[in-house]
Amino acid sequence: MGQSRNLLLEAVKIRRIEERIIEIYPSDLIQSPLHLSIGQEALAVGVCANLNQADQVFTSYRSHAYYIAKGGNLNRFFAELMGRSTGCCKGKGGSMHLADSSVNFMGTSAIVASTLPHAVGAAFANKFKGNSNLVVCIFGDGAADAGVYHESINFAALHKLPIIFVLEDNGLAVHTTKAQRQAFDLAKHASTYGLLSYNLEETHSPEVVANLMERVIRDVRTKEKAAWVRLKAFRYKEHVGTGDDFHVGYRSQAEYEAWMHLDPISSYRASANVEASINQEIEEAVNYGINSPFPTYEDLHKDVS
Amino acid sequence: MSALKIFPEMTYAESILSCMNYAMHSNPNSILIGQGIGDHKGIFGTTTGLFETFGPSRIIESPIAEEMMTGFGLGNSLNGLYPIMTHIRADFSFVAMNQIVNLYAKYKYMYGGQFHPAGLIRLIVGRSWGQGAQHAQSPQSLFSHIPGIRVIMPYSSNTILEQYKNEIDRADRLVISLEHRNLYDIKFEIDANFSSELRDSRVEQVGTDVTIVATSIMVLESLRAAQFLIEKYHLSIEVIDMTSTSNPDVDIIFNSVKKTGRLIVADTSWSPYGVGAELARIICQKDPSVLRAPIRVIGMEHTPCPTGKILEDMFYPSVRTIVISILETCNIESQDLPDGESYRDYYRKFKGPF
Repeated sequence: MGQSRNLLLEAVKIRRIEERIIEIYPSDLIQSPLHLSIGQEALAVGVCANLNQADQVFTSYRSHAYYIAKGGNLNRFFAELMGRSTGCCKGKGGSMHLADSSVNFMGTSAIVASTLPHAVGAAFANKFKGNSNLVVCIFGDGAADAGVYHESINFAALHKLPIIFVLEDNGLAVHTTKAQRQAFDLAKHASTYGLLSYNLEETHSPEVVANLMERVIRDVRTKEKAAWVRLKAFRYKEHVGTGDDFHVGYRSQAEYEAWMHLDPISSYRASANVEASINQEIEEAVNYGINSPFPTYEDLHKDVS
Repeated sequence: MSALKIFPEMTYAESILSCMNYAMHSNPNSILIGQGIGDHKGIFGTTTGLFETFGPSRIIESPIAEEMMTGFGLGNSLNGLYPIMTHIRADFSFVAMNQIVNLYAKYKYMYGGQFHPAGLIRLIVGRSWGQGAQHAQSPQSLFSHIPGIRVIMPYSSNTILEQYKNEIDRADRLVISLEHRNLYDIKFEIDANFSSELRDSRVEQVGTDVTIVATSIMVLESLRAAQFLIEKYHLSIEVIDMTSTSNPDVDIIFNSVKKTGRLIVADTSWSPYGVGAELARIICQKDPSVLRAPIRVIGMEHTPCPTGKILEDMFYPSVRTIVISILETCNIESQDLPDGESYRDYYRKFKGPF
């Protein structure tokens, strides 16, 4: 029970971080596109719950939850969003390009599907070097539209690489529905590559996701095959930005409400002490960002090549 | 076993093979990636025998998946491998443009220097025997435009040995090398003391009347033109090999133009927005008063490359084009011109098929 409680609390903390970002955003302390993880915190916490620090994670631009769940530094997270030189990427990446190499959070890209081959290459290198590190690559169902998705899972399956592809399926590519984009069934298609494949519809709880991932990780290690996992996902906020967009009509508000009704993060009521402790950690990180220096002209030209 | 093997004379292809062997022997984390990399043709003899020695874990046969394999190489390098990728035609790299431009070139920068992606991408530029619109492009300008990519165009076995050994030894940055298919079988005398100091622009022939800055095979064409001009017109031509189009040695080029007052750029690609345009920018921003005549730029005609021989001959510049251009810039009436076919004799000998 102790472990499950911690996972839920970690997901709640991520929700609070995202909510704090929504509060800050109108102040223009953060001047960049944002893709919030609200609604998908349980997936991130569950996916990362059983990973070791040496295991490597690559994600898309909707990466805040994974950055935190993998153990990325919170102070440097807020500093990065605010473009400060103390940010995890020295103010050059921002929300869409987060990385924390110290915890093997390896990079997040604003080009859909573009991190899949990096994950495959990293997994190949791990196998080449004979270490036991796993690579996890997270992307959305929109990524499955891209040719490089097929190219990547094909190579990983062919070479039996120690990699887990995690497809977060919210049925949308920005605002375009799956019916408008895909003539194939994701799970049936993936299964033809001969990799291990898994599907989870009920992803509200981080414990449930973590339990599945524990099995996936064990299978990848013992069966020495690549794995593909589909997790149903629900993005609560608009694709980019901090607002709600159910009123514009491209998706169903009733479906959202039914999903949220089962969301333990939304219904979670922490004790006053716990809430205060989370809020204090977040406020310290926000202030760390606000009080950090901006990069200089000299910094602009650093690390180009 | 890990020393670079050098012989008094080496073809361009032999010098590349020697460097590939050196990469594999000197660094256990080096891997080669490419379509056909381990087959019986061995990328025109530049990877021959390596698969037999190092096996499939280090000589990696690529699916026809250029974008993925380029991102794969980037992922390799994040975990300490040094990938050397080969596209048997430079044109195929356009399929990988997303990974090269959006990811590989920016991975170090956008994560604040946390990662050091490295790799050598070999692109082979085709010419003649009907290579046509999709087998003969030379994309140095496209790649040199992007911050974070080092672009080199070795024209000789010496420059291959110098540049590749340097990159293999440091293994800490992304380099795109444009190798010219028509150079592969040409033999070069090897300077036994070839420089361990990296030279990104080099004076290949000293002269006083006109400066030619050339890339890749156009360096050979320029040296031939210079030879003709000294014999027939007593003109002294300085020929500079612009080995790196992304990082030219501006001082070497500017000082030469200052000395001669005349600049001709001979490039393997199209001229608009190209190498010549960039050198004109550099000279004009530095001090246009050193010029005694307008800059002239020689490149391919601004059309796609046609396949048929007659059109193809019109499409490419020759030693004759260079000679005419030099005589014009010096206001010398042309009486004697080289047979436009002289260098093309070599290309005629190239009977492909690829």
